[in-house]
Amino acid sequence: MFPYTDGDLARRLRARDPHVMSALYDRYGRAAYSLIYRVVRDAGVAEDLVQETFLRVWNRAQSFDQDRGALGPWILTVARNRAIDHLRSTDGRMSASSTELDRIENPRLFANFEDSAMTLDRARRLREAFVKLTPAQREVIELAYFEGLSQTEMAARLKQPLGTVKTWVRTALKVLRDQLSGQAVA
Amino acid sequence: MNGRPMSCEELREVLELYALGALEGEERDQVDDHLARGCETCQRNLRDALAVNALVMASVKQATPPVGLKRRVLAGFGIERSGWGWLGAFAAALMLLLAGWLSVQERHRQSELAEARSQVIQITAERDRLNQAFNFLNQPETKQVTFGAGKPQPPKGNIFINSRLGVLLIASNLPMLPTGKTFEMWIIPSKNSSPRPAGLFKDNGQGTGMNILPGTMDSLYAVAVSIEPEAGAQTPSDVILVAPVGGA
Ligand SMILES: [Zn+2]
Repeated sequence: MFPYTDGDLARRLRARDPHVMSALYDRYGRAAYSLIYRVVRDAGVAEDLVQETFLRVWNRAQSFDQDRGALGPWILTVARNRAIDHLRSTDGRMSASSTELDRIENPRLFANFEDSAMTLDRARRLREAFVKLTPAQREVIELAYFEGLSQTEMAARLKQPLGTVKTWVRTALKVLRDQLSGQAVA
Repeated sequence: MNGRPMSCEELREVLELYALGALEGEERDQVDDHLARGCETCQRNLRDALAVNALVMASVKQATPPVGLKRRVLAGFGIERSGWGWLGAFAAALMLLLAGWLSVQERHRQSELAEARSQVIQITAERDRLNQAFNFLNQPETKQVTFGAGKPQPPKGNIFINSRLGVLLIASNLPMLPTGKTFEMWIIPSKNSSPRPAGLFKDNGQGTGMNILPGTMDSLYAVAVSIEPEAGAQTPSDVILVAPVGGA
């Protein structure tokens, strides 16, 4: 459906060709907007943050030095982090962790992705896995992914012992992982 | 925590959180140290964790972005037109400069019909660049640095720095480019950092050229220009200009 592979787009990004941004937006703009909107719940703010996301992608792309790197997962991560950063700045949580967000969206982390990592089949299996989570497990997953809370912050928010929260998080992630790798008991 | 090193299996349990920036203190440091030691199992596991995260992030209800958003995003890169209503004096001068550039190119290319098509493409592309430059100069916070003033021979001109939009270089007195060569702009983020490629450009045939590096600028120490082979280079070879910009 798309004329370019992610590898082509990554090469043009590294060559500082601004026109690649149009193709990049066509491919990932909607996913980035949806994710950011899911976090900030405000269309105007989401628009600003999508713009920031693509500027950041452009600025950081030079470290994206693998043709097999996964642009999609990287762009989603950048988008999510912009949204989380915004949440943190508005709800008065410390923003010292901006450097932490910076670190974890280093494009080098996204090198050598397998093409099979992001398929529709895996997306479907992930949705099925969500159904298997308990309400508490689902809640901590939400808090981690879409509110950017650490486990300590989750414990405070949910008024639960840290150990309990850690167990919920680990069990929930294991359910997701097992379902994706096909080890889940049906 | 008690400082006991976590095994690869234990680390696997927290890699999604690590990649979300949700891991704290010693747990996070352990993952850092372990990955820094180059454990291949954990590198692979980290990629799996990143894939899990990306799938979760992609699983949200898909919303429809506002119609104008693509245009807005691309305007930041000078690709979409963003209005002509505010032509300032400098913008007008810049337009003249570019008009001169285009007419020279026109004379060079008139002869061949096949070339005409590529010329149209060229003009379209340049008009986009013009818009991009205008967008730049229109921002009140854009900082201007002049270099080479009062010197007859070396390149002179202006550098415009905007922390959100990037760097715009307009240079004249550029040396004649040998065949098969191009100018390459470089940015030097801080005093001791090495130059980073910032785009290729040619002059208008009369020693005047323009280049834009779009994007946010965290820090900028100097801008440089070199002459490189047509395809550009990763490190500068024949440097013709270094302009300090004074810690923008
Ligand atoms: Zn390991």
